[in-house]
Amino acid sequence: MNVVQRGRRTSSALAVYVIILVAFQVFLITVAVEAFVTDEEGLAWATAAVSVVVAAGAALFLRWLRP
Amino acid sequence: MSDEPVPVRPVWRHDFPYEAAAEDEVTRREFTRYLVLGAGAMAAGNVGIAVWTQLRSINTGEPRPIVALADVPVGETYLFRYPSDDDPAILLRLGDRDVVAFSQKCTHLGCVVFYESELERWHCPCHEGNFETRSGRVISGPPPRPLGRIEVEPRDDGQIWALGRTV
Repeated sequence: MNVVQRGRRTSSALAVYVIILVAFQVFLITVAVEAFVTDEEGLAWATAAVSVVVAAGAALFLRWLRP
Repeated sequence: MSDEPVPVRPVWRHDFPYEAAAEDEVTRREFTRYLVLGAGAMAAGNVGIAVWTQLRSINTGEPRPIVALADVPVGETYLFRYPSDDDPAILLRLGDRDVVAFSQKCTHLGCVVFYESELERWHCPCHEGNFETRSGRVISGPPPRPLGRIEVEPRDDGQIWALGRTV
């Protein structure tokens, strides 16, 4: 595998990671709504914190992605 | 002559050699950037939900008389509305001065629950959810959490008072 192909594969893998993180965000939204309905403030804040970390991770992956 | 590799075209490109005007316009990086923006928007939404959960005020109701104790025989139920007129609730008299009350909305999808005296449980007929008589805890079925409990007590004035609702 040459350098160009390897770079393209790595780039694709990073894109897949970001897709997985976005899917996880959708799950976190459902958890947040459930916390809202049951009035569990602790769960709502924990979900928000995880969600922000996941979004930051996705942004980090974007930095590594080839132009 | 150049040494750059010639891009390999898929076979279908030879069979159907058409070019769409915009097919090369979205790069992988652009696509991923939109995803990251979406993730950021969802994170902002999650923070908003947390703030809303923290700041909102829930109407748990004011103490008020519901019904005369003498009007509810032992083992019978009484339907009322609490804390607002939009909140159906049900009261059960278990003993002489032993009463319990719950929101009548099933915690699964909001169907109306009723008391099954022969099986001694609260029952939701929509999806066969069952709740314990005294605590409102889920016995079986799809409901994810207990029934909303309403604190009630019989007082010396002969009335059953609702004192407030727990979420």
